[in-house]
Amino acid sequence: MLLVSGIGQAAKLPHYIMTNGFNGLHGRALPPAFGAKAANHRLTVIVASGDGDMYGEGGNHFIHNVRRNIEMTVIVHDNQIYGLTKGQASPTTAKGVKTALQPEGVVLTPFNPLAVAISLDAPFVARSFSAEIDFTADLILKAMDAKGFALIDVLQPCVSFNKINTAQWYRERAYKLGPEHDPTDKARALEKAFEWGEKIPLGIIYDKPRPGYVEQTVGLDSEPIFSRITKTADVEELVGGLY
Amino acid sequence: MQDVAITIGGAAGQGLVTISDMLLKLLSRTGRHVFAIQDYMSRVRGGHNFMRIRISGERKFANTEKTNILVALDQRTVVEHLESLEDPALVLHDTETVGPVDAACATFVGIPISASVPDGNKVFGNSVAFGAVISILGLDLEPAKEIISQHFGGKGREAVEKNLRAAAKGYAHIKSDHAELILRLPDGIKKPAMLINGAEALGLGMIAGGLRFISAYPMSPSTSIFNYVTRHAGKLGILSEQAEDEIASVNMALGASAAGARAATTTSGGGLDLMAEGISLAGISETPVVINNIQRPGPATGQPTRTAQEDLDLVLNMGHGEFPRFVFAPGTAEEAFYTAAGAMNLADKYQVPVFILGDQLLVDSYTTLPGLDLEKAKYQGHLADPAKVARPYKRYLLTPDGVSPRLPYGAEGARVMFDSHLHDETGLITEEPAMAKKMTEKRFLKLRGMSREPFRPVRYGHKKPEMSLVCWGSTYGAVREAVDLLNAGGARAEMIHFNRLSPFPVREAVALLRGKKSVRVVEGNHSSQLGRLIARETSIKTGESVLRYDGRPFTASYVIENLKRVGKWKLKMSFSSKAKRRGARGAATSASSRPSKRR
Ligand SMILES: Cc1ncc(C[n+]2csc(CCOP(=O)(O)OP(=O)(O)O)c2C)c(N)n1
Ligand SMILES: [Mg+2]
Repeated sequence: MLLVSGIGQAAKLPHYIMTNGFNGLHGRALPPAFGAKAANHRLTVIVASGDGDMYGEGGNHFIHNVRRNIEMTVIVHDNQIYGLTKGQASPTTAKGVKTALQPEGVVLTPFNPLAVAISLDAPFVARSFSAEIDFTADLILKAMDAKGFALIDVLQPCVSFNKINTAQWYRERAYKLGPEHDPTDKARALEKAFEWGEKIPLGIIYDKPRPGYVEQTVGLDSEPIFSRITKTADVEELVGGLY
Repeated sequence: MQDVAITIGGAAGQGLVTISDMLLKLLSRTGRHVFAIQDYMSRVRGGHNFMRIRISGERKFANTEKTNILVALDQRTVVEHLESLEDPALVLHDTETVGPVDAACATFVGIPISASVPDGNKVFGNSVAFGAVISILGLDLEPAKEIISQHFGGKGREAVEKNLRAAAKGYAHIKSDHAELILRLPDGIKKPAMLINGAEALGLGMIAGGLRFISAYPMSPSTSIFNYVTRHAGKLGILSEQAEDEIASVNMALGASAAGARAATTTSGGGLDLMAEGISLAGISETPVVINNIQRPGPATGQPTRTAQEDLDLVLNMGHGEFPRFVFAPGTAEEAFYTAAGAMNLADKYQVPVFILGDQLLVDSYTTLPGLDLEKAKYQGHLADPAKVARPYKRYLLTPDGVSPRLPYGAEGARVMFDSHLHDETGLITEEPAMAKKMTEKRFLKLRGMSREPFRPVRYGHKKPEMSLVCWGSTYGAVREAVDLLNAGGARAEMIHFNRLSPFPVREAVALLRGKKSVRVVEGNHSSQLGRLIARETSIKTGESVLRYDGRPFTASYVIENLKRVGKWKLKMSFSSKAKRRGARGAATSASSRPSKRR
């Protein structure tokens, strides 16, 4: 297994788990995770990131790796704030929230990661809440079974820098989706992704398998890339093509 | 027979690439040496593009600014190149669409293309022109037939037949109407030569050096390397991925490399700027990666399809913090091949980022080679043997040479951790001052070994020089030829070419430069970046540099003219009597190669 992260409070995770790690740059968890998975598709790759890391600095990689549908589990610790840098607005900070850098309150519309992921057909999109430990663990296991880019946005309080979205705040609003929700229905999933405020749905929002990157990429079905060898005869053939 | 320079010009999309490609193949297969440059504008249709092919009986390393035969696919070509015509020169043109102009040195040879194309279909016009060109060059039609068949093979039998007929018409027209103009080319090596451009050389070199993963974002003039590798990737088991941006491409390569796959990326200045933080990450995480930066004039978008040597300072210093790196700047396509293979091996051996500085001139120019020695470009593995590495595994084990045994992810019983923070030997985050010191010193310990690695400066020319011309990268060809011309005219000149620029070969540089009479740097930028690097590293102050920063490639004549103009050094010889004659007649001398009036 390989645990990849960027930079932030949440992104320190690889240092606390006894497994292989790649702790890269702020916003850049996904590119090395993709590279490692492509190089050795037998690795189970898990990405741990924050809302700033994944949706802000790394937003472009988020969009395009959902499109790539690279087979990995992406856990975003969404505390709706930049924790490590002491409390600035993140892409998921609510409108109107005041911080040192937004003294009059945030005017930007919050980023909706679930809706973006669903609209780009991520095969597995879920939301959890960090106080729900077993529930979250179960979702992570399900995400790891999904084939492709599996996103879990985990709501969590930042006790130091987010005085609005506290544990209490989430507890009052979060509810678990029941069997009446059909996660294979894209329109319904999008509807649930937009549900926010008074009630916040938890669980598998969207679950619709689609072929992953490794599965679709010619030649990635056998010997992992990293352990292959280019034969001299192959190079000689290329040289022959230059005459 | 002298060298022949043929220029094929036209608007983008007019088919000059078809004619040039077929001609280059024919020339190399019949054993002639060529050096060909592509000059194109950053647009898809229209404008003015040309390819200049210099044909010679021996190897040539640079372009010329002169043309003996101009193939004008449009009127603008005639106008643009009038100044560069030799005396005498031939201008081949379509009788209907391009007209002769008043030029004493030129003979205009009209080709009735419309009347020669099968079915009156203009698409076959290029093959008529091709036939006429090889006819005027005195080449046989027979070997050309095979090339036409291969070129148009994908379009079906009928297309091949008609293109063959078209070429035969063009060929016959010259034979019957202009037999007296037919040239005789130098014989050459009388067996097929390899035809290669710098992009192919770099791609092939990386492949020979064990490339397994390439990620890049398209940007001229680097894309042709990415294209070449990708074209062969599937068959070779290499993974090629077009990244969403250059930040992604370099970080993808780092992830692949951490997983044990030799990884590289290709880009040009602006894309390289975006990679800076990733390169710094390669530095601290000690992740091997090869970065091909193919220079074009900046700043910002600059001239996308032109050439420059402006990024040396950038790659020597880019990425915040301090970490060692290799920087290479091969001089020729041949050297680019060996350098690229070596770069893959060295990145892995020292776990450092390796830059290859090319430029538009290097990657887009074609040259013939007798062959390549694959023995000198062999893959050398540097991953540690999992059975021999102590457990618990320490990714950043402190060692006497600064290089820690590297295991890929997934090795039995080993936790492999790559980290961008200051870390301890196991790769875990720390802020201990003692560890900070140790890890910094560990990285720089590698310099000792790195400095001993090859691709050191080479010397060429007079053994007792009174003038030393110092250069790096693709300027090799023009400077080498300038040295030959100067020496042929009675001067005593040498060339010193730097391929490896970091770690800078201080000892070799001092040995080569100290006590020399006149040392002049020749490079494609405004601030003489190599000149300043030499001063910094060796305390040797070089003379006034010969610089070019108009986006165009150096030629020998540009070097010589500018040596005379900006230097205190007096040319003792009268630079070739032929040039003087030409200068007197004027017509055929272009502005940049006109002999100086101060002679
Ligand atoms: C290129 C770059 N820009 C800025 C930073 C500073 N920085 C580190 S973490 C962070 C934001 C972290 O927020 P988030 O990803 O939400 O993680 P959290 O700390 O909240 O878990 C910022 C701005 C950095 N390390 N690198
Ligand atoms: Mg956060």
